Amino acid sequence: MSSRRTLAPYLLLIPGLAPIIVLMTLVIGMAVSQSVTWTDVSGKVSLSLEAWRVTFESDQFWRAFLYSARIGTLGAILSVAFAYPVALWLRRPFAGSDLVSALIKAPILVHGLVAAFLYVNFVSFQGFLNVALVGLGLAARPIRMQNDPYAIGVVVLQVWKNMPLAFLILSGSVRAISDDVLNAARDLGAGTFGRLRRVVLPLTLRSLQAALIIIFIGAAGDYTFQAVAGPTSLNSMAQFMVRMETDNGLQGVSLAAVVAVMLMGLSLCGSILLAGLMQFLVKRAGR
Amino acid sequence: MATLFRPAERWRNRALILFALVLFFFALVLPFGMAVLWSLVDPSHPWAYPNVLPPVLSFRRWVEIWTTTGLQQALVNSYTVALTVSIATILLALPTAFAFGRMEFRGKAAAQVLTLLPLAMPLFVLAIFYVTILSKLGIYSRFLGIAIGHTVCLLPYAIRLLTVSFSGVRQDLIDAARDLGASRLTVFRHAYLPVLKPGLLAALIIVFILSIEEFAISYIVGAPDFTTVPTILFSYLGYNFIRPSAAAVSLILVVPNVLLMLIAERLLKSAGASGAAGKG
Repeated sequence: MSSRRTLAPYLLLIPGLAPIIVLMTLVIGMAVSQSVTWTDVSGKVSLSLEAWRVTFESDQFWRAFLYSARIGTLGAILSVAFAYPVALWLRRPFAGSDLVSALIKAPILVHGLVAAFLYVNFVSFQGFLNVALVGLGLAARPIRMQNDPYAIGVVVLQVWKNMPLAFLILSGSVRAISDDVLNAARDLGAGTFGRLRRVVLPLTLRSLQAALIIIFIGAAGDYTFQAVAGPTSLNSMAQFMVRMETDNGLQGVSLAAVVAVMLMGLSLCGSILLAGLMQFLVKRAGR
Repeated sequence: MATLFRPAERWRNRALILFALVLFFFALVLPFGMAVLWSLVDPSHPWAYPNVLPPVLSFRRWVEIWTTTGLQQALVNSYTVALTVSIATILLALPTAFAFGRMEFRGKAAAQVLTLLPLAMPLFVLAIFYVTILSKLGIYSRFLGIAIGHTVCLLPYAIRLLTVSFSGVRQDLIDAARDLGASRLTVFRHAYLPVLKPGLLAALIIVFILSIEEFAISYIVGAPDFTTVPTILFSYLGYNFIRPSAAAVSLILVVPNVLLMLIAERLLKSAGASGAAGKG
């Protein structure tokens, strides 16, 4: 009876957890193993680091790697930077705060591809922005802003889509800070900025890190925003991986596998770095 | 509530609310308004510079998309996959959520973290190597491939939502029902089900919507002949950019999902309320 009881929760975990662990293990295992195999022109498969050599010698790969790292970092930092003050503002409910909160969360309901289309439509030759610029006399004729070479559009889309997510994560922890704690800090002489640095930021550090990590992973692995609104001369890592797989025949899977492993590495290392940086900044601000 | 704020704060709040409304207008209302306009541009009267508004509006584009493209099949595919995925996901998530929500055991926290793995994996990486796994396993049905992929990727959402629902069931109600001699089924019907029902429906709707919206797996596994609404939208946004068609498909993708999501949010709020109030 006792052993049945001890085993029961683990048996109940199987239907939900086992498919996740099996699929993730298979996918990671497949990516790593494919990255160290190479198929020659005759179709013979052998263990080799050739795919790594070819990928690392490719300028396009490093451009894609740095580009995804940049988009992930900018997307995560800007989304959190915009969401944090709003979460602080809406910490205490007031007339209209529920409305603002609902408006901020609205982009979560919009599919990424639809968001990309709305953006492209907004900045296109016939879009509102160009019509307004020409109408206001700020431009003589429409300006080409679609697929801009600096990827400003992609960053705008990342922030547009992820800021509500950051707000959702941050607002919970900001609201959990009790007034008693803040009043105690005030009684001890801390001003508004002092309370923010020494009380609010440390108490919301975990949420800040969680928001940064979730957004960074999503933005670094982005495909749709880049494909629709990104610069045409650059690839994101996901886009580059798909291209490697489709354009390189027999060696395509191995080359895509190297990019996949590097993308997973970027997600992991970037997340750790951002979380560490946030911890360092919050601790430093609290001194 | 408003009396807690000083007059200066009240004015600041009003100004900020106004700013938020203006921002919302430019970030969402206007772009969607333009999408509606583009979807209504008459094919024989194109909307081009310097016209500020479309010269002729009509539903011809909607009729054309509905009758001459693969949209109908894409809708059938999307909704069939989503229905299968939402039922399968809930059935798989229920026992696990029960364990997380009602039981204490060693390794619980680690197991909860492991359920979040699909959220940490870049979806295109998953999709590309998932296809390789499917072909090695000899699974060539695109429907089945997409359904399995979606189910695994959406399990974290269902497990999380149902865990919260299970933990909201009051132990004293369960004990009272048992003390009164209720069978297991009666205990489930009277103590569990009323609290679980809103969370269960919300999880069902959220998984359904996320499956309809999922792009990476549907695009990679489904290519080239199994289309879903997002993959058909992507085809209109790629090299072959057909703006009026993209506008119409965008609206078809967003509007039903927003309505369903609002229902899910309402259900989740009522689940939270009934859990907190101990109703049921």
